Amino acid sequence: MFKKNAVAAGMVAFASLSLAAGFAVADGSKDADVDITAMSAEELAEYLIFETDSFRDQEMQEGGGWRDRMTQDDIQKACSMEGSPDGETAGRVVALARASYERPEGGVQLGDWRKGAVLADSGFGYRQGHNTDDHGQREPGGNCYNCHVFDSRVSVQGTVGPSLENYGATRGTSEAILNYVHEIISNPHQYFPCTEMPRFNSDRHQLLTDEQISHIMAYLLDPESPVNNQ
Amino acid sequence: MFKKALLALPVAMAVGAAAQAGEWQDPNDVLQNLLQNNPDSKYLHQSEMNIMMMPDNPALWLVEEGEDLFYAERGPNNVSLEGCDFGKGPGELDGAYVELPRYFEDTGKVMDFEMRLVHCMKELQGFSSDDAAVAQRHGNGSDIMKLTTYIAHQSSGMAWNPPLDHPKEQAMRDAGEVLFFRRGGAMDFNCASCHGDSGKQIRASVLPEMRDGQEWTKAVSWPAHRAGHDNVRSQNHRIRGCVWQMRHAGIKPDTPVNTALISFWNDAARGEPAILPDLKR
Repeated sequence: MFKKNAVAAGMVAFASLSLAAGFAVADGSKDADVDITAMSAEELAEYLIFETDSFRDQEMQEGGGWRDRMTQDDIQKACSMEGSPDGETAGRVVALARASYERPEGGVQLGDWRKGAVLADSGFGYRQGHNTDDHGQREPGGNCYNCHVFDSRVSVQGTVGPSLENYGATRGTSEAILNYVHEIISNPHQYFPCTEMPRFNSDRHQLLTDEQISHIMAYLLDPESPVNNQ
Repeated sequence: MFKKALLALPVAMAVGAAAQAGEWQDPNDVLQNLLQNNPDSKYLHQSEMNIMMMPDNPALWLVEEGEDLFYAERGPNNVSLEGCDFGKGPGELDGAYVELPRYFEDTGKVMDFEMRLVHCMKELQGFSSDDAAVAQRHGNGSDIMKLTTYIAHQSSGMAWNPPLDHPKEQAMRDAGEVLFFRRGGAMDFNCASCHGDSGKQIRASVLPEMRDGQEWTKAVSWPAHRAGHDNVRSQNHRIRGCVWQMRHAGIKPDTPVNTALISFWNDAARGEPAILPDLKR
């Protein structure tokens, strides 16, 4: 689940930043002696997140603690700009995403579209803080409806991402399509660098299991799914 | 393009006049002006019912309760909050809310409104962190929300104008901008994931665009009665909710990540009149 390599890289980056900011002080009280005006805006942002006791010390559902979750990996860092990435950044992000993608053993399979519909509609999971989602009580969902329209007959759905109505009806279920959709759900930066869409199964962590992804894919691609009958 | 330019002209004139005058305006009048000036904003026009309810905004009850609390002699030290300096001098509330966060000499740091209010309740009135008056941050029944709504109301219609003269104010605002665009957490979101475009929806919610000052002034105009919660909510409550939905770590109150974000929020609404209190979905 929890991929140590990405976090370790982030912590190394932060350690060097800590030295640069120079907040190890004689009396041990970090706060009083830190000159926030001596830091760059990026250094100060990292300092505020990691050194000012601003976050609750909790165990994250994907493993690790709050520092692990808040430490940026390479793709997050590369995409922390306003607007779209420049060409160089976009190419680098695509390369990072492709290098870490793994196709499931035995190939990509479609699951049960009915289960996929429930997962696509579920915004439960991975929330932390004053009201932490307990994955022992309920499985985390995909949050898909927050941003995509799948079936406008069911409910009001989001428009941050493209509408996916009739997605499979126009594309079919060839091996190439199955592989492509699996790649996008796992790590969409392979095709859309710095997209707003989360990575649901990447080297950073696995937010949805292979089985859950197979159900969501069925909801999207199965000819019987209501998504493809509109 | 052409249509936008035509619309922008009267908007700029109206805003310029309001910002110059810096005069108090009824929150419903501020909202009505915004709506008239932005007929195409899906965000501003998304709830006809909320717009109709605005003259009878339930948050106005908290204004009255908050006024009583502000002038009451309270806490172990039995003093009112009239000695509290929100940046314009002790007890000076006119326009104070829209000029926060700011740097305070007495603490040596940049403080947002709630941080400053809590500071005064502890230092002047003698409340401790465990006292309900200070510990309870959210809900219509909390002293903090009553006081917040009363004090903020004294700045209604005035333009957001957080000072950036002190280097620490500029530093916190700039760090807040970095935080706004910093991708992170379990789902890689930053604030711009939802607030980078105009007219986009998360499910049924139309989202405000940060770079559109006329949408953004409504977005940051908290305290607001949040109809879906049936409670008046603060800027800090909005941050907590966003960070929670974004799958970042759980944020604590009175911490500088909040202050930096609010410094950037209020700066992004600079020059636009605040709706205090507002009413939201």
